[in-house]
Amino acid sequence: MSKDVRVGVFVCDCGTNIAGVVNVPEVVEYAKTLDYVVVADEGKWSCSVDYLTKLQGLIKEHDVNRVVVASCTPRTHEPLFKRATKDAGVNPYLLEFVSIREQVSWVHMKEPEIATEKAKDLIKMGVAKATLLEEGQEIKLPVKTDCMVIGGGIAGMNAALHIADQGFNAFIVEKEPQLGGLLNHICFISHDNHKIQSAEILKKKIDEIEAHPNVKVYTSAQIEEVDGYIGNYTVTLSTNGTNRKLDISTIIVATGMKEIEPEGQFEYGNDSRVVTQLQLEKLIGAWNAGHETGNVELHIPNTNLPIKDVAVINCVNSKNESRGCCHVGCHNSVKNAIALKTLNKDIRIHILYRDLSMIKEEGKALEEAKRLGVKFLRFPDDQYPEMKKENGNLKLKVYDILLGKEFEITTDLLVLTTGFTGNDGVDEIKGHLKVSTNSEGFFQESHVKLGPLEFPADGIALCGCAKTPTSFKESCEEGIGAAMRASIPMKNGYIEADGIVADIDLEDCNQCGLCFERCPYNAIQVDDDKQPEVVKALCKGCGLCSADCPKECISIVHYTDEQIIAQVEAALAENSEEKIIGFVCHWCALGGVDMAGVSRLQYPPNARLIRVMCSARVSIKMIQRAFDLGVAGVLVAGCEFPTCHYISGNYAAETRVRRAKRKLAKKGYDPDKLWNVWCSAADGPKFANTMREMVKQFL
Amino acid sequence: MNDSILVIGGGIAGINCALNAAKYGTKVYLVDDTASIGGMMARLDKTFPTNDCSICIEAPQMFDVDNHENIEILTNTEVRKVKKVNGKFKVKLMKRAKYVDEEKCTGCGACVEACPVSIPDEMDGKVGGVRKLVSMPFPQAVPNVVSVDPQCRHGEMRKDGACIGDCVVDCSQCRECPIALCVKACEKEGKKAITLWQANKNLNFEVKSIVVATGITNAKPAGDLLGYDVYENVITNVQFERLMNAGGPTAGEVIRPSDKKHAKKIAWIQCAGRGLAEGRGVPYCSKICCMIAAKQTIITKEHDPSVETTIFYNDLKAYGKGFWGFYQKAVDNGVRYVRARPYEVFEEPESKNLTLQYEDLETGELLKKEVELLVLSTGIIPNTRNKKLAKALKIELDHLGFFKEKDPLISPLETNVDGIYLCGGSMGPIDIAESVVQACAAAMKAVLRN
Repeated sequence: MSKDVRVGVFVCDCGTNIAGVVNVPEVVEYAKTLDYVVVADEGKWSCSVDYLTKLQGLIKEHDVNRVVVASCTPRTHEPLFKRATKDAGVNPYLLEFVSIREQVSWVHMKEPEIATEKAKDLIKMGVAKATLLEEGQEIKLPVKTDCMVIGGGIAGMNAALHIADQGFNAFIVEKEPQLGGLLNHICFISHDNHKIQSAEILKKKIDEIEAHPNVKVYTSAQIEEVDGYIGNYTVTLSTNGTNRKLDISTIIVATGMKEIEPEGQFEYGNDSRVVTQLQLEKLIGAWNAGHETGNVELHIPNTNLPIKDVAVINCVNSKNESRGCCHVGCHNSVKNAIALKTLNKDIRIHILYRDLSMIKEEGKALEEAKRLGVKFLRFPDDQYPEMKKENGNLKLKVYDILLGKEFEITTDLLVLTTGFTGNDGVDEIKGHLKVSTNSEGFFQESHVKLGPLEFPADGIALCGCAKTPTSFKESCEEGIGAAMRASIPMKNGYIEADGIVADIDLEDCNQCGLCFERCPYNAIQVDDDKQPEVVKALCKGCGLCSADCPKECISIVHYTDEQIIAQVEAALAENSEEKIIGFVCHWCALGGVDMAGVSRLQYPPNARLIRVMCSARVSIKMIQRAFDLGVAGVLVAGCEFPTCHYISGNYAAETRVRRAKRKLAKKGYDPDKLWNVWCSAADGPKFANTMREMVKQFL
Repeated sequence: MNDSILVIGGGIAGINCALNAAKYGTKVYLVDDTASIGGMMARLDKTFPTNDCSICIEAPQMFDVDNHENIEILTNTEVRKVKKVNGKFKVKLMKRAKYVDEEKCTGCGACVEACPVSIPDEMDGKVGGVRKLVSMPFPQAVPNVVSVDPQCRHGEMRKDGACIGDCVVDCSQCRECPIALCVKACEKEGKKAITLWQANKNLNFEVKSIVVATGITNAKPAGDLLGYDVYENVITNVQFERLMNAGGPTAGEVIRPSDKKHAKKIAWIQCAGRGLAEGRGVPYCSKICCMIAAKQTIITKEHDPSVETTIFYNDLKAYGKGFWGFYQKAVDNGVRYVRARPYEVFEEPESKNLTLQYEDLETGELLKKEVELLVLSTGIIPNTRNKKLAKALKIELDHLGFFKEKDPLISPLETNVDGIYLCGGSMGPIDIAESVVQACAAAMKAVLRN
């Protein structure tokens, strides 16, 4: 430890919120007795402008270079004190925040003496950590302005145009010989029952793309290799046998989807009268050519078989054990039924369905179809229509729930509304970009709710049907939205990451590659010798790699093993048998702790909480150290499943706690004294109950 | 600064729109007419189809908004007038007084504890949430400051025991009230943040584009629909969500209004009132209610597996990624799905239980079902404030009252006024992920406009 360490401790009264319970002057006097502390002070409202000015003056006056603030909660006030510390000329990573309101005065309101002792303990822990803190800094990684869009369908084209409109370069990589994707196979699109020819929209978009000086299109192109990370990608493309390299900064995945061929179902593939919705689109397109509306005679192609009766079966290969709702089937079936009726008003159409998933504006199309005389029959989920051929005719037997009886329908054309799956080539792209897909062949976004347009790794956006089936309008919106996500780093010219990142000491590294495999953000890259390197701008600082590293050679800035263990040791220096060490993640677990505070839930004062960014940061070594020192119990608290701020850190933590229990048992400790709890930020009662329960069992 | 943009509505769409634009480098005014940003999502317990805790995932974003140097949050603020001049928008807003100095208030809550009057919380309705006349919207509110109910400030709550009952002076004339308990409590904390003499404030600035993100509203059941106004134990799905929420009025206990006992038999009626005559229900499918019901039943079962849950439904909407699997999870957890639309509800006078009469569509049988708590999934309707806002912005509403796009296919999210864009629930029923997508897209369009 450097001799120059000079700690300043600033304890807040928070009006009477803290000072009404905790004897703050006594705590301040106590802080002054701690090693390395050169100044300690009490502030009525530490977050007020007046006090911050005073705090900065004290820092300068006493040449303080480590700051400990004991007040409310870091979740709301840490940024403020970080700024104040920085403005006083001290690196903000040299600040340690101690929570004595949410964790002390609000939860031990009736025990002022015990609360005061706990506050002292927490400050002692904070000072112990602070003395070991090292400077950190935000990390910047330059990002240039070239973006590759994989897939030239409507989502990809919209994305590329919006990228290009900003003056950035967009390279569209399309595997087919022409742009347009699925739109090439669709006759017209409709919304609110207004329809537009797809070809018309497509032509307009392609014209725009071709006229745009910043968009470059590579058709019939394959991606051979993708190397690097945001700001620094090298992509090898092969187009018609020649290879070329693209240097790009960001990537947008817009690879679209394809219809599942219902091979072998309802005679599909054996009988030309059985087609899918996309094949029907093609037929409508052909029939439509030269005819606006009217009494068009329709025939099965290449035959003279007339079409007078059409049956449509929805949810073929959808809504079963392996696939969900195809999202676009109901609307497509109704839209195409209207198209057929428009071609020939006398055609009889039956749509056989399970549920009609027609939302708000689609309801109009449904009404229109009904008005035109399209008949709807609802079959039970577990009883699909049966088809047989009689004298060459297609006959369907279907039970209609609503009328409660069975119908037999003869049809000249059977249309199957089948589900969709991710496009060909998804697996290769998945490999190139190190991203995931789900069981239905669609790419998996970073967060189902709040990260719908990107992957966990920075710099790769996702849109349209590559993620899940979407309508035309939704695909357009997704493309534009993905352009926004990819543009932010390009517009800024860099990405900036918090300085809480991993740092690998290569001296002890045995190149096992575990960190590379475990990192949820692809922030650890390995070279050919499996030598790892942290791309600091991509690292989120969860600490999963550090806690798993078998050689203990990865440290996390602001959360090093030494710093955390110093907190454990400080907490357990006296009366360790009465104390419970709780490792809490910064997000939901600390949120739950704060909620217990805000709700004034009173629980026993035995807890000494240590904040980590993610529960995955907690290593077995830390837990064991607490047991070595005679702790009453240890709690590892993280986000409730499946929520985790770091994708899956809580799952990793759960596994590690199990391993830790085995290890503790081997060492002769009682593994049942190690608990974990997964709580949400609203789970104040859960946290308080856990504390009560632990104290009841161990003390 | 005329390169800035205005985002109207601070729900999850507005938050994402503002964050994206701000990170892009554009100055954003984020306006909400309630006391905190967060919108509908801040009131929810969980989100489908992953059962993520709603506020846990939203709060970090709210925090980012609060701390972003390019975003100015204006809560309690209404858009009054917008005028387009030379392609830019001159906007006039009014910030309604919170009677609190937002700079000084630290959200400590001393004033809330001191306030003697509790009134029903509008959002919680029948499930009995209460708030004080001075209150924090919810613990994670941004900005984290309290506000004083204007009714109290204007002396209208005196009959209910508001603390300045003895004061003979007309409040509105008084510069500094030394009597009010909240003022005293704040002063005791040494803050002087309650400023009862605070006036509404007009704000004027110029922006290059505007994004409307005013969100959705849950439909109120029309009058006696399925017993809603008549029987205590008939509630809406939003009220049920508040019951489930650990931060709600019952701290997450699913107890029914009549006797505060845990409900052991609960039924949901989907499409409640849908398609009924004008003013008696929602004439379209709101698409998210099926998944809300699946979520609510799964969580109910998680709280207590012995609770019997039944969903009466018509068409199942499981349209999004992972939604079908979520429905199956509900079925696997023992949730009973019945294809039927109950047409009559009676209350059992003693037990206050509800008896539903329905025809099972699959069997055609006329049946009865007795439950202890009945939840009506009433659908999503346009925000009532849309009309006024549309007038101020000179943009159109559709026949239902949602904002209308110029051309949904050719130019999605654009309105008939160049430079005004739409996203999220302002256009119709929508889920969170779709709102976020549209918010990103609207932000792109807004920042790109010259």
